[in-house]
Amino acid sequence: MASYWGRVQNQVMRIIYSILLIFAVGLGYYFWTGQDNPVDYSTQVKPIINKHCISCHGGVKKNGGFSLLFQEEAMADTKSGHPAIVPGDPENSPMIQRLKETDPELRMPYQKPPLTKQEIRILEDWIRQGAQWGEHWAYIPPIEPSVPDEIAEARAGSASSDFFVNEIDRFIYRDMESVGLKPSPRADTGRLVRRLYLDLIGLPPTTEVVDQIKNGSLSYEKVIDQLLDDPNFGEKWASWWLDLARYADTKGYEKDQSRAMWRFRDYVIQSFNQDKPFDEFTIEQLAGDLMDNPTREQLIATAFHRNTMSNDEGGTDDEEYRIASVIDRVNTTFEVWQSTTYACVQCHAHTYDPFKHEEYYEVMAFFNNSRDEDTADNEPLLRIYPDTIAASIEELKHWMIQNTNSPSRVEDEMQFIRTLEPKIHTHLCTDFVNGELSDTKYLALRHKGHCALNNTYLNNAETMVISYSCWKEGGRMTIRESNQEGKVITSFPLKKTNGNAIEFIPIAPMQDSVDLFIEFTNPLLDAQENSFRVYWFAFRPGLPGQSQPEFDKMNRKYREIIQSKPEGVSVMVENPPYMHRVTQVFEKGNWMVLGDTVLPDVPEVLNPFPENAPRNRLGLAQWLVDERNPLTARTVVNRIWQQIFGQGLVTTVEDLGSQSEPSVHSELLDWLAVRLMKTHDWHLKPLIRDIVRSGTYRQSSIISERKRETDPQNLYYSRGPRFRLSAEQIRDQALAVSGLLSDKQYGPSVMPPQPDGIWQTVYSGESWRTSPGEDRYRRGIYTFIKRTSPYPSFVSFDAGSREICITERTRTNTPLQALVTLNDPVYTEAAIAWASRLIHERASLEAILAQAYYEATFREISLGKKEALVKLYDESLAHFEGNHTGVKEYLKIGPDGITGVNNHIELAALSVVCSAIMNLDEFLTKT
Amino acid sequence: MISKLVKEFQKREVESTTRRHFIRDCVSGMGTAAFGAMMLSSCGSSSSGSPQLSARDLNPLAPQSPHFAPKAKRVIYLHMAGAPSQLELFDYKPELQKLHNQPCPESFLEGKKFAFIRGVPNMLGPQANFKQRGESGAWVSDNLPHFAGLADEVSFLKAVHTEQFNHGPAQLFMHTGNARLGRPSVGSWVTYGLGSENNNLPGFVVLTSGGKTPDAGKSVWGSGFLPSVYQGVQCRSKGDPVLYIQDPKGMDRSLKANVIEAINDVNQQEFMEYGDPEILARINQYEMAYRMQIEVPEVMNIDDEPKYIHELYGTEPGRESFANNCLLARKLVEKGVRFVQLYDWGWDSHGTGQSTAIDYGFRNKCREMDRPMSALLLDLKQRGLLEETLVVWGGEFGRTPMQENREGKKMAFLGRDHHTEAFTMWMAGGGIAKGVSHGQTDEVGYAGVEGRTSVHDIHATILHVLGYDHERFTYNFQGRPFRLTDVGGNVIKKILA
Repeated sequence: MASYWGRVQNQVMRIIYSILLIFAVGLGYYFWTGQDNPVDYSTQVKPIINKHCISCHGGVKKNGGFSLLFQEEAMADTKSGHPAIVPGDPENSPMIQRLKETDPELRMPYQKPPLTKQEIRILEDWIRQGAQWGEHWAYIPPIEPSVPDEIAEARAGSASSDFFVNEIDRFIYRDMESVGLKPSPRADTGRLVRRLYLDLIGLPPTTEVVDQIKNGSLSYEKVIDQLLDDPNFGEKWASWWLDLARYADTKGYEKDQSRAMWRFRDYVIQSFNQDKPFDEFTIEQLAGDLMDNPTREQLIATAFHRNTMSNDEGGTDDEEYRIASVIDRVNTTFEVWQSTTYACVQCHAHTYDPFKHEEYYEVMAFFNNSRDEDTADNEPLLRIYPDTIAASIEELKHWMIQNTNSPSRVEDEMQFIRTLEPKIHTHLCTDFVNGELSDTKYLALRHKGHCALNNTYLNNAETMVISYSCWKEGGRMTIRESNQEGKVITSFPLKKTNGNAIEFIPIAPMQDSVDLFIEFTNPLLDAQENSFRVYWFAFRPGLPGQSQPEFDKMNRKYREIIQSKPEGVSVMVENPPYMHRVTQVFEKGNWMVLGDTVLPDVPEVLNPFPENAPRNRLGLAQWLVDERNPLTARTVVNRIWQQIFGQGLVTTVEDLGSQSEPSVHSELLDWLAVRLMKTHDWHLKPLIRDIVRSGTYRQSSIISERKRETDPQNLYYSRGPRFRLSAEQIRDQALAVSGLLSDKQYGPSVMPPQPDGIWQTVYSGESWRTSPGEDRYRRGIYTFIKRTSPYPSFVSFDAGSREICITERTRTNTPLQALVTLNDPVYTEAAIAWASRLIHERASLEAILAQAYYEATFREISLGKKEALVKLYDESLAHFEGNHTGVKEYLKIGPDGITGVNNHIELAALSVVCSAIMNLDEFLTKT
Repeated sequence: MISKLVKEFQKREVESTTRRHFIRDCVSGMGTAAFGAMMLSSCGSSSSGSPQLSARDLNPLAPQSPHFAPKAKRVIYLHMAGAPSQLELFDYKPELQKLHNQPCPESFLEGKKFAFIRGVPNMLGPQANFKQRGESGAWVSDNLPHFAGLADEVSFLKAVHTEQFNHGPAQLFMHTGNARLGRPSVGSWVTYGLGSENNNLPGFVVLTSGGKTPDAGKSVWGSGFLPSVYQGVQCRSKGDPVLYIQDPKGMDRSLKANVIEAINDVNQQEFMEYGDPEILARINQYEMAYRMQIEVPEVMNIDDEPKYIHELYGTEPGRESFANNCLLARKLVEKGVRFVQLYDWGWDSHGTGQSTAIDYGFRNKCREMDRPMSALLLDLKQRGLLEETLVVWGGEFGRTPMQENREGKKMAFLGRDHHTEAFTMWMAGGGIAKGVSHGQTDEVGYAGVEGRTSVHDIHATILHVLGYDHERFTYNFQGRPFRLTDVGGNVIKKILA
């Protein structure tokens, strides 16, 4: 029914409605029901099917052998041996007969209320007209709709004249006019500028800027441009993207240990600040590693899909969690770029949308060949070398180029230096005798123990690189071909190490792949004693130029580079051909039950895979940002609109599929989507500029009685947005207004004060160590996010734990939020800092309170509000007077180094009032 | 003043449907013969609509009625994190004793995966003495001398099974119905459905003991895709019982009252100008926060409980213990809290050391649990609360009938590995039969052979006694309805009263 409503909104309300009003009601009725009126599948038929039929006849269930999900299924023979739909002949279509049946055992929907006559009529007309199938609107690429003409402006009259600024307003006006609404007047300047600042940079304006705009020395448009260029812009917009990217500082699950991903966060902030086109932003994150000569930033961008959680709990199967990550990447990619609930298709064909079960695995095949294997060390890691080593690497690269005529050989070695890939993790070892996967992950053998590492690609490698730790001397490891009697490939003493170490072991060259038999002896060990763990092996060819005089020096440099322990960030690295994984369908979504083999491909219902694009992640990314893709641009536009207005043009921002809420604004959505691609070349800043320039955006958010009745949710945008700020904004704003906020950007995540005892995760020695100095006053975007225990005051204000992709934060209104802003020392500290600044104004109390209110809201205080604050000040003063301990304790929460305040009682009293102002609805809300 | 405003809104809400539905209803009638000019004019004009304010808009924890008349009004869920051994508590297996120290039959190992067992382990006979108890004759071991006397009060589920053999995913599965993160916990579902009867306390309270929080972290009481207001609120024995519940130092209650009054006074003026119902909701939340600041510390304080209560539970004020948490659970449900979730950490009896040995550390844990858990049932009963409170006890999986042989070695202490095939849980109180034992395992307690019960069955049953049909209790997220029981779950009718 909901979809039906949308159709009527779009087509009938707009056209017939006005005709009806202008001409006669009876005439309108004739038009509406006229036999010649063609029934549209997507807007009229599909909503009825989705509402009443599909849960038993499509997707998971195909009762009676009848499914309405795909055209070929709907027209096929059912269990009865005949099709349920006979195009052109509704009377003889069993589907219609069953809808009209009087016997409750036969009448459909079974045991549910019958369809209305109107609904049956639509289905009959549709079949009579040939049962034409159609595509859901969002699966057809947007075509630029024409902008509603200017006549509306004239019709709107002079009262609304300042409403019309750009094209957005003409669309919006037409839609609100259809339900009899008029635009609201412009918001007052103070509140509008505050709104603009919060939306563009996430921080409030200064009073100076507001004053300049009020006195006309600075224009609204000029402020927009300044804010789009402000380095704080990226910090604000990154929050949105990091929710989608499920960015966090820990791995998740039981141990939930830290993982340095902050370089990805910085990449996102920088990308927004640079106004990187969205197509480029997309390709870098999904496939930066597959681009030509990728830069470090492009490689870091691929951490997008390394934000998946990984499980280090003892006894977990790394392959199971590798697959869980791959599945998460498929689901997240479709949620982020396609507003599609693709996760459904993992287990069965999509219940509502035309995606087939095997199509899920065809997309999965794009993601199934990255090197990550859910290892505890988060490999592959991009090694961030310090400058000194980076210089050595350049020198080595130059030397290699001189000594080999194979560029691919150089690139292969550079990849190994960058990532230590491809490596072979020892969790692949099997057939242990007198040995075990230690901690269920690492190769460990006791005296006379052995194991197998089958099908290992050696390809004439000369060196085995081994990463291990060993705490007893006297051991020897021997690696043979195939078995105990096999040819010795290498035999070497396994030296005691100081922690983890990397060694280079010469090996006998072997062709292609070999089953390795790994033995260990150490007669000094007790029978059940372990003395080492091997983490991984890599089999490498020798460096070129072995006959050159400089070889030894370069080889030594090379080894020092590999043995160094730089910081790293998890990135995507593609499997070399010899490690290629085959992708098979998981029957009913169960990864243990494998079905047909599939090749990388995209869903048939969407745009074709671009010609000449490679069948890998790079090609998939190019497919997503192909202008023929119907969903990407609409998705971005819808979500950017949502960031600003608090709801999408299509309100279901997570789903543009056939179950999405039909929108009255689909033409505006398409117009903006086309504009984003064609006019703005995927740049987001001009799109945001379009929106905040519009008269729609600039309206006052006052809700008149009539508007609250007609349009409580503001679906027609006849008033400005008004909703509570985000978790980060609430904290940032308090710090900004008080003057405590640090403007330091980028770098490792910080730990502002939080109550003791919040982190209690099992088996993790990590703890929350409050950051020193200005780091405790950094913007919320830099706060450390531990997935199993996020920063508590952010959780109260609906920030997520970043475990999975979140398209929309729910906005709640709870008493626990009040406790945060009333009692969290962060806010008390801010209030005291703010009061200590205000108290220097040496003005009258009333003037100081008016100033405080103005700094918080950018409006003049009303008499009634001032009275309330003065009363609170007097009460606070009375409380603190003669209460020396109370004053001292309270002010101690404030920041260090408050000087020049003589009267601490007045400071405490004013701080209490400032704290109250920070709790006002108008402070916590974008108004 | 404000309460008047609120009442007025609620009244008007009831008086008419929303404008949006109204328009939609009008328009969908357009094609019918009944359509007429009257209809159109009433659609087009502003009729007596209302602001869309429901009780839930003003207070998202406002109580609501379930699908049908409930047997229980609230839940206390005791989760033993780490997974206690059913073979030393409830599932008596004399045959296993006979196989003690003999190699495990191949049939138990083929195609199976264990967290730590490798190769062929030995069987491990029961490390406890068992007796049949009460009229029901339920087997309870000597590890639980107090609880043994209450065997007739509870229903045992002897053949529960799960899909996950690691703590984190198994705990998530047990509490959210899914082994991956992102789904709401059972407590969140219940609180979302029923709301709370006490506006001054959180609707869903979590208490932890054993020194650590559960392996899966706070997600086991998270609200997943439900609004965050329905997530569990951890009440702590040390530090503030609820985060930020204490006024800033130097402030007192009367000054805080002044602060709230001033904030709400200004907010009221703001509402008069802006007319946004969210402002009314915020006014409501600030009043509630003030009351919560009084009531939470009160209910979390057990100092004033009479001596006999302390003796009954074995409580010591000021400690973080399972005993204290059991007493707190009773106090919280008495005050109308909807769902109280206890986690006691330290039940992972692998036998890697004395503290995790099945014949040592495990017995100590049993001692710590037995008296308070029994006291809780008795105390609820004597207060007439048990008949409308559902009490659930269990771990996230069971333990193997085999002795653990970590890394293929013989271990110094007796221990059991994680086991998914069969374990015991029990339920008692509202809607639950007394003295019933449902399900049975094979001779060595490896797998259920009769009355097997899935995690989704447990959830379906919890929802059932609370008045919900688990198949109809859904929440729309990402374009489809989700339920706690996913696509499974059958109410365990055998244990219903």
